[in-house]
Amino acid sequence: MEDVGSPTTRRRVLSGAATGIAGSLAGCTERLWSRAESPGPEQVSLTIKAVPADDDIVAAKIASRLRENFETAGIDATFEPIAKAELYRDVLLEGDYDVFVARHDGIDEYDALRGLLHSRYATEAGWQNPFQFSDVTADDLLEAQLTTTGGDRDGVLSELFEHLTETVPYTVVAFPSRIGAVGATLSETVSGPPYRPIDYLEILSEPSDEGPWDRPLEVGVFGEALTSRLNPIVVDSNQIPALLALLYDPLVYRTDDGAIPWLAEDVEWGDGSLLEARVTLRDDQRWHDGESLDAEDVAFTHRFLRDTSLGDTESGVPAPQYRGQQSLVESVEAVDSRTAEFSFRTANRETAPRAFQIPVLPAHVWEPRSTVVGERQTEALVHDNEEPVGSGLFELEAVTDDAEVELVPFTDHVLYDAEDGPSIVEEFPQFDGITFAIAPNSGAVVDLLEEEEIDLTGTPLPADETGRVSELSGRSVLTTQTEAFYMVGYNSHHEQLGNPHFRRLLSRLLDREHAAAELFDGFAEPARSLGSLFGVHESELADEETELTTFPGSDGEVDADQARSLFEAENYRYEDGALLE
Amino acid sequence: MTLAQVVLELALVVTTMLVTATLVFVGPRRLVDAVRGYRWRLEACLLPIAALGVVLALRWSTRDVVLRLERRVIGHNITHTLFALEQRLLGETPVVLLQSIQTEALTEFFVFIYIYGYAFLLLFPIVAYFALDEMEELSTLLLAFTANYGIGLLCYILFIAYGPRNFDPLLFEPLLYDAFPQSRTLTNQVNQNTNVFPSLHTSLSMTVFFLAWLTRDRYPLWVPLSGFLAVSVAISTMYLGIHWFLDVVAGTVLALVSVYIGVNYTVDGIVSTGRRYLAKRLDRVGRPGSE
Repeated sequence: MEDVGSPTTRRRVLSGAATGIAGSLAGCTERLWSRAESPGPEQVSLTIKAVPADDDIVAAKIASRLRENFETAGIDATFEPIAKAELYRDVLLEGDYDVFVARHDGIDEYDALRGLLHSRYATEAGWQNPFQFSDVTADDLLEAQLTTTGGDRDGVLSELFEHLTETVPYTVVAFPSRIGAVGATLSETVSGPPYRPIDYLEILSEPSDEGPWDRPLEVGVFGEALTSRLNPIVVDSNQIPALLALLYDPLVYRTDDGAIPWLAEDVEWGDGSLLEARVTLRDDQRWHDGESLDAEDVAFTHRFLRDTSLGDTESGVPAPQYRGQQSLVESVEAVDSRTAEFSFRTANRETAPRAFQIPVLPAHVWEPRSTVVGERQTEALVHDNEEPVGSGLFELEAVTDDAEVELVPFTDHVLYDAEDGPSIVEEFPQFDGITFAIAPNSGAVVDLLEEEEIDLTGTPLPADETGRVSELSGRSVLTTQTEAFYMVGYNSHHEQLGNPHFRRLLSRLLDREHAAAELFDGFAEPARSLGSLFGVHESELADEETELTTFPGSDGEVDADQARSLFEAENYRYEDGALLE
Repeated sequence: MTLAQVVLELALVVTTMLVTATLVFVGPRRLVDAVRGYRWRLEACLLPIAALGVVLALRWSTRDVVLRLERRVIGHNITHTLFALEQRLLGETPVVLLQSIQTEALTEFFVFIYIYGYAFLLLFPIVAYFALDEMEELSTLLLAFTANYGIGLLCYILFIAYGPRNFDPLLFEPLLYDAFPQSRTLTNQVNQNTNVFPSLHTSLSMTVFFLAWLTRDRYPLWVPLSGFLAVSVAISTMYLGIHWFLDVVAGTVLALVSVYIGVNYTVDGIVSTGRRYLAKRLDRVGRPGSE
């Protein structure tokens, strides 16, 4: 029989060992428990969303630079490239982001800041307060600028900019020059890259020695999914610049040389503490489908943009586009078929005409689309509008998916061949419409220019294409300064980003001078002054410099120690180089 | 260049390569035999051809649905994960290292490989295996291609991933589109820029190479050539800034899986197994409680 040892001894040994292990583990488990129960502060982490380089190389570069600088400052930063339509969806509709980098079309008047920042719009879709920013002082100032005029309003606006440097819901990086290219046929007549509908109207109305041409103007554009949605009131889509604005006319066009009455023949302003206007439409105007356009369409457009469900939901489903302008208007009444009466919420003659730049929609097409199809969603907002019926000087002829969009002149337009129309379209049309040729990327657009397939470019070109264009004989590079800007926006609902001090610090982590020189290749003006930091280019009201643009580093790169001392001065703590929550 | 011109040029160059390679590797004699016996040969691999056709048609016809599923419903963006993982594992992403040695000649070589070399690599074995006396190899190849496309499609639905050039234009250069912007017209027709994980360029090329190795007694010289081309294609995808190293790794794994499927299964077998399984199931449903 083998000696297996006494059972009691074995048991004792085992239990002894168990106690020993348990004892030695006790300290360790306590530590584990306490860590599991109250995990100490973690590293601040932020995800930056922007379109990939294919869609906009500058945005991708800014996002990438920002990611590196955030990381140097101790933040766990991630860059998530995301297609344009999806970015708009996440940022403008869902509020599903921490930080975004995007190109904004620009602020045409100070009042545009109201749509961008007023807390009333925090729950609305579109460029209406996409930052979920809510600040009582800012709200008051934004309301006050509506009802004041002249010097009083200037005072209010200066105060607003001062206040924004404290609260920093977003900041501007730089104002890019819009870059385009033109072929030999038009190099004499075109001086800047077209981007507004009025630019195209000018090109098509400019007589040349060889014209008029019996072919359409060929415009090269690039981008993903440009033809999938032709709906003028949605934001979550990628669109050919100016295309929809060429199809849908406004009451009045705004140009650098003043206003041009368009669907409107005349605007009479009334007196009173808040403005009123009587708009008379041109006689006998038609929609592209032959229906007549009248004042009821104008009134409908405003009703519809305010609530696309037309009263079917309690709180309304506002359109994500044109809400800023539309909300200037208290009400619009169609007095007769050619007259509409506007009552404004503003006392300001500079601001009120913004409401006339909204494209007018045909009631007979859009009224049936007011059906509610989901949570805060109406048919109008999900409809692709494949066959847009507008009233513009162009109508849509054909769309070849991701290849071509053809516009032809709308000969029933009241300004087509008109005797007494605006001088800008006296010689319209010198071309038989416009064809937008869609290329996969900017390089392919320049190829089209080289092969004389297109007359000029419509999408802004990245700076590195300018070298190639200038090497081609007969083609030239076009640049113009627009109001557009690149911005970095913060989601105030994010745990850390809700703190204005944190947003102030983040805003300093980008070297704007360096960005303009290197990321934009010099084709941009950095945001330096107070006004420009919030999107108003060359504002006289807020032209002083601000501390927000002093960069803690050099040559675009953040200095870790400098950044750290900035954050520590605001009572943030670091551990192993990581910024803690 | 328009799309038609790009395609025409591609067709011309690749056809020239195919004809040359066929004369060298297959020989005129075997080729004539193969053309004479085309009927039974086609019949013998009708099923795998149909399977490949179905998967390709599915890919083509469900583009919009897949895009919406991928981006809006599943929305699993792994781009940054790929980048961060490579940096953590290797210190630096291999794409940066590869691009740091770039020269004009190297760029031209890799652009050629990425577009023409790749097309040739995929098409030549179809011709070569078609000229054999049995259609077993060709069936295996076609089924492996089908598996590649099928599994690839599934991955593309599950993951949104942009390539290096799209992720960080400061770190990575978009060499392909700088050298040959119209190539995007071509690749756009077959793929979206969010479909980079795994690299189908790599997986299909490696599939051809692995099968070349398995059939080395038939075409011994094809092994080194396909190996050189396949590795070049894999490197070119990274050098040109289109794919991450991890895409290439995943592509190689996908190639192994696809070859395994191609060698061990037949379309006929899969179909009849499926049929038997269904019949059993239906049977069970038809007679409840009969077990």
